[in-house]
Amino acid sequence: MFGILHVMLVLLDIESMWFYIAIHLKGGIVMPYREKIAWLSLIAMGVTFVPYFAIVASGRFADNPLPNLPLMACFAATTITQMIILGVGHLYLRSASPEDARTPPDERDRAITQRAMTTAYYALMAGVILVGCIMPFKQVGWSIVNAAILSIVLAEIIHYSVVVVSYRRQV
Amino acid sequence: MDGILSNQIRTLRFHHGEMSQSELGQRIGVTRQTIAAIEAGKYSPSLEAAFRIAEVFGVSLSDVFQWERAGSGAG
Repeated sequence: MFGILHVMLVLLDIESMWFYIAIHLKGGIVMPYREKIAWLSLIAMGVTFVPYFAIVASGRFADNPLPNLPLMACFAATTITQMIILGVGHLYLRSASPEDARTPPDERDRAITQRAMTTAYYALMAGVILVGCIMPFKQVGWSIVNAAILSIVLAEIIHYSVVVVSYRRQV
Repeated sequence: MDGILSNQIRTLRFHHGEMSQSELGQRIGVTRQTIAAIEAGKYSPSLEAAFRIAEVFGVSLSDVFQWERAGSGAG
């Protein structure tokens, strides 16, 4: 039941995200290859982890006699879906512009990556402090695990968002 | 010290047979988007890339890039 709900939420998200991607990739806007990869990673995370955290926040598994099993299955489904989206997306982008894919990152690409990683590092550190130092006094079990996953996802979203914004603003 | 780094890359490309941003990028080892960002003054290239650009056009570095201190032209 929850698996079906999860798949439906993912499909709904994919549809709306695909509409946005179609405008940018097919609408004639020339986008750097690495920005496309960043968009792909953001979308893959959006369509998988937004439904995951929505299901977790709904508390559907709280009264389950074996709460670990459905939560682990949900997380496994989320990560497998994310990997499939990333794999297919990478293959598509690579086949669409093989020359761009082969081009090594230049100095500006490296500067953007460094800026994005620095920003994401501080977000991850804040998450680690929250999850590792503050939450254990108040929470237990899956709450801490999901908070850790959320902090990693947020750090990744910040990382790719900085990449996208940097390329969009040409800085 | 605040200032503005301007450049003459667009003009130099025009004087070199309307060289494309892609071609210039290939010759100095960066992407077309990086050349566009440099040309628009949004990204300051490394010293090495700056020298390479000047070498492609056969001019000195100061003919490609100019540094102007903020407020120096105000009066």
